Amino acid sequence: MPELRLTINGEAHTVDAPIGISLAQLLRETLGFTGTKIACNEGHCGACTVQVDGVPTLSCITLAHTVDADVTTIEGLRDHPLINAFVRADAVQCGFCTPGQVVSAAALVADNPSPTVEEIRHRMAGNICRCGTYPRIEEAILHWRD
Amino acid sequence: MARLIRTEKEVEGRFEEVWLVVEEDPLTQWPSGPQAVVGRDAVRKDGPERVRGEARYTADVQLPGMLHAAMLRSPHAHARVARIDFARALELPGVRAVLGPGEAKGLVEEAEFAGQPVAAVAADSLGAARRAVEAVDIEWEVLEAVIDPEEAVRRELFTMEPARYERGDPDRAFADADVVLEGTYRTSVVLHNSMETHQAVCEWVGDTLNAYVSTQYIWGVRDNLAEELGIPGDKVRVVCEFMGGGFGSKNGADEQTYVAAVLAKRTGRPVKCALSRREENIAAGNRNATIQKLKIGARSDGTIVALEGEYINAVGASGWSAMTEGPMRMLYACENVRTVRYGAKINTPPMKAFRAPGFVEGTFGLECLIDELGEKLELDSLELRKRNYADSNDGTPYSSKNLMECYELAQKHWDRRDDVRARSTGTWKHGVGMASQIWFGGGGPPSYAWTRVGSDGRITVVTAMQDIGTGTRTAMAQIAAEELGVPLDHVDVVLGDSARGPYATLSAGSSTTPSVGPAVRAAAADAKQQIIEIAAQRHDVAEDDVTIEDGVIKTADGTFAEPLSEFLGLLEDAQILGKGARGPNPAGMSVLTFGIQVVEVAVDVETGEVRVERVAAAHDVGRIVNTLGARSQVEGGIIQGIGHTLSEQRLHDPETGRILTTTLDAYRMPTIADVPEIVSEFVDQPDEHLTNLGSKGLGEPPIIPIAAAIANAIRDATGADVHELPITREEMLRALEAAKKKERRGAPAAV
Amino acid sequence: MELLRPSDLGSVDGGLPVHGGTEVVPLLRDGILEAERLVDIRGVVPRGIDGSTIGAGTTLAELEASPAIPDALREACRLAASPQLRNMGSVGGNLLQSTRCWYWRLKYPCRLHGGDRCHAKEGEHREHAIFANDFCASAHPSDVAAALLALDARLQTTQRELALAELYRLPDEADRRTTTLASGELILELRLPEVESSVYLKAMDRQRWSFPQVGVAAARVNGVVRYGLAGVAPVPWLATGSDALDAATPLPRTAWKVDLARALMARAAAQL
Repeated sequence: MPELRLTINGEAHTVDAPIGISLAQLLRETLGFTGTKIACNEGHCGACTVQVDGVPTLSCITLAHTVDADVTTIEGLRDHPLINAFVRADAVQCGFCTPGQVVSAAALVADNPSPTVEEIRHRMAGNICRCGTYPRIEEAILHWRD
Repeated sequence: MARLIRTEKEVEGRFEEVWLVVEEDPLTQWPSGPQAVVGRDAVRKDGPERVRGEARYTADVQLPGMLHAAMLRSPHAHARVARIDFARALELPGVRAVLGPGEAKGLVEEAEFAGQPVAAVAADSLGAARRAVEAVDIEWEVLEAVIDPEEAVRRELFTMEPARYERGDPDRAFADADVVLEGTYRTSVVLHNSMETHQAVCEWVGDTLNAYVSTQYIWGVRDNLAEELGIPGDKVRVVCEFMGGGFGSKNGADEQTYVAAVLAKRTGRPVKCALSRREENIAAGNRNATIQKLKIGARSDGTIVALEGEYINAVGASGWSAMTEGPMRMLYACENVRTVRYGAKINTPPMKAFRAPGFVEGTFGLECLIDELGEKLELDSLELRKRNYADSNDGTPYSSKNLMECYELAQKHWDRRDDVRARSTGTWKHGVGMASQIWFGGGGPPSYAWTRVGSDGRITVVTAMQDIGTGTRTAMAQIAAEELGVPLDHVDVVLGDSARGPYATLSAGSSTTPSVGPAVRAAAADAKQQIIEIAAQRHDVAEDDVTIEDGVIKTADGTFAEPLSEFLGLLEDAQILGKGARGPNPAGMSVLTFGIQVVEVAVDVETGEVRVERVAAAHDVGRIVNTLGARSQVEGGIIQGIGHTLSEQRLHDPETGRILTTTLDAYRMPTIADVPEIVSEFVDQPDEHLTNLGSKGLGEPPIIPIAAAIANAIRDATGADVHELPITREEMLRALEAAKKKERRGAPAAV
Repeated sequence: MELLRPSDLGSVDGGLPVHGGTEVVPLLRDGILEAERLVDIRGVVPRGIDGSTIGAGTTLAELEASPAIPDALREACRLAASPQLRNMGSVGGNLLQSTRCWYWRLKYPCRLHGGDRCHAKEGEHREHAIFANDFCASAHPSDVAAALLALDARLQTTQRELALAELYRLPDEADRRTTTLASGELILELRLPEVESSVYLKAMDRQRWSFPQVGVAAARVNGVVRYGLAGVAPVPWLATGSDALDAATPLPRTAWKVDLARALMARAAAQL
């Protein structure tokens, strides 16, 4: 199986994986980064969002062998102030979409530490939450540094 | 003392008479309002692990040697397996075992909807299992399919006998009424779309089955599996520490769990069977569509004198026919009511409970009709509802009802309507609408909890319930902390494992807090009593003089006062163990939840775009345990309801019955950009007749009135009557066109 | 399966090109596309904006954020898909995306798949075409293509230079494809003329993350107003004025789209 070199959360990984494997499956099943969730597995819901060079990317439709850049998963964001902001705001119910929400939000506040409500809604619209925690997510991002 | 009672048990509006052993519950309720811990905002105890991606869901369970199962599903809406041959499939690499029709519960020989599973394969990888499924040689005998629910009713194809209800003399009352209005309303299929799909991982350890299942009811799954496999219940251990949403669709084992269990037995290896998103949106259940032919008769002062409804629940191939007529029977005082409800058996995917099944659908029709009556009589919507206020549930007293207080809370939001309407400019028309809500949600026995207090003064609550994301761990910890007089962070809650805790009820029917909460309080009180007994002996004081407050155990006169953790240090390895049980519901009373929502919308009358701008909700669910979590429940219910009101549409091919919108680009749930301002208020009065807690459930009530409130606001804004969900642009433009015609005929379109 | 990652155009030799993968990867998984060789073309397709020239590998997110881009294109990118898909998807790939027709996506043996009937016409078609829908009623979902059509964009491929309109063809009995791209031909660059003003309006059933029910781009180029419509025909649809809608041939359940398109075209014209 073709060898694959990836930098994940700042650490280099070298693994053998078949061509065609998605980044999400590689992260979850081969490398054990199960914080990244798969909910639709076809790029529609955002639960699998990771950052590739800081850019929110759908890992479930990303071919792992095409990734050269640094990957940041929720495991790499566990000390991010957004974590506490989400907890404080009750921006989590079942929690299955939440890691993906945090990954998207972390990229947003990196680009713009003081996003408006409109920007939050524009940049977070690719992360579906069936429990409907959206007002709380908005609040968490608005007050992420408090 | 244990007591055997005969009682009526309600789940999701379904009643059954059961024998129950209940324990007396001597605790008096806490006073209303915020207590030290209960009745206040509490952040989720398991928030950090969920947000950090550390919480382990069923989807994350990977066991050594685990195989993956995939199911072969019928491409036909109704067909029998004429011949099935696994030889080719079994030759493929990595394939370990196959199951044919009848070899696991849920694998059928005669498929009654397109997508029903008939066979399954276990293989080393999911990919290998799926390839093997495609390699199965199968011949189908295609049978006649009925897709249209009205045709099913004509042909008397039912999932259950028609349910008829009548009180008073509706015919005479309609004849005597000053005004009679009729309308036909349609609601559409809604897909649960839990973010974690239905899935199970099963492994056998000796003669015990360990089942990791994404479920709302670990005991239900345990019993389902035990019965199906013919083994004792305690030989099945069901684990669900974290689960990614259910909304009513995960109340039992279902085929993926049976398939995983049987394949695990066959192969001697752990087996995971997980539905894909597309399978989820076909076979995992749905809120069924309905057709409602409704009629209302009233006096000119707005008094409702007669109600009549013919309801068709398009149930699907299986499932139950929910009480869609419930709101018509229960929401308003009306002496003359007649309803009939047909559960149409059609060859489409089966319904499963979905957040207030029946009442969501029935409230849409009824509350739209009520507002159309108000328009006709030129009566204020809120006043009309107050005039028809019900003082009893058809003669049975309520354990508590504060709907009038909800109406009072709604008044200020309703008063905004002149300002809202005045915002209309150009093609954008603004309006305000409302709808009321009634629902069950009182829970019931049995449920149990244990408490364990260590010498460090920390309390662990153990109960084999599950947290489906509503914040159960937090609410239960608040209740225990309140009773024991300790800070919230001194309490942990262990749940989600049927082998490690006593029975607790399902997380459905808004029953978790009202069912398990009182058991947790009783278990905490039991431990507290023991601690007080020990303190009384240790310090030679009367038990009655000892209290625990804010983590300090003390007497009022100051004989002693020390942190509980220090006092309990004397225990060393000894522990204090408490137990508690849920007492009975009040006999001869109806335990119900109530509420009202006031919605502001904007409608672009040229493009049919509908925007929900603001929703104000006032609900009466007894005592609120976690005010923060309660607001989240209200918001979540409203947002989910906005989805099925405006954008979610499950479509099927009329010829084959196959579902066309199985992917999330086509089945469109709200995103963060669709969310209005939401204001949530609670009456927050404990139900004095209901348990030691006085709390009812809140999971379902907020989703019930939203669709009708939106439709009523649309009428207020545009004069258009919307009678069909979802209100897509297509439907909105059609309704606007119909309103124009109505106006041309001389009737004023807008009040 | 093999994956090649060439760094110069000369070494591209057959295989299925993948750029952002947002369309190709799911279609491969569904078996609608089949390939033994995948070619990651990100190393060979230009990316970035240089005056009026846009590299075909530029992502929608990059276009959305660029002040140099005409309003219609920027807005089409802003309202397209989801943030993550805009981050991943290239503008070249976007032009080549397939219809969202559920029958086609579910692999019904429809005309677009080489079959002999259009299942949507007789079945569920409320999101389908109002123009050129006799043979195949699918609707083209690209907001970006509608904008670029209105903007009169031209393309440079590995083989030719062409107007965007020439990239598309209506499927017919003899040839079911909806583009004229030859096997192995890659879109390299897009070129925009001088645009006086432009606008993109999109009707969807969520505020974000929906394919267009109807998308209307309008642009004034050299004093001439052009309209590009998304979601109304099997290919992006060029119109010269709102009277074009008089020629619409809606299906029973797509008549509402004609009214919607009419309203959006009038608004777009007013905003130019």
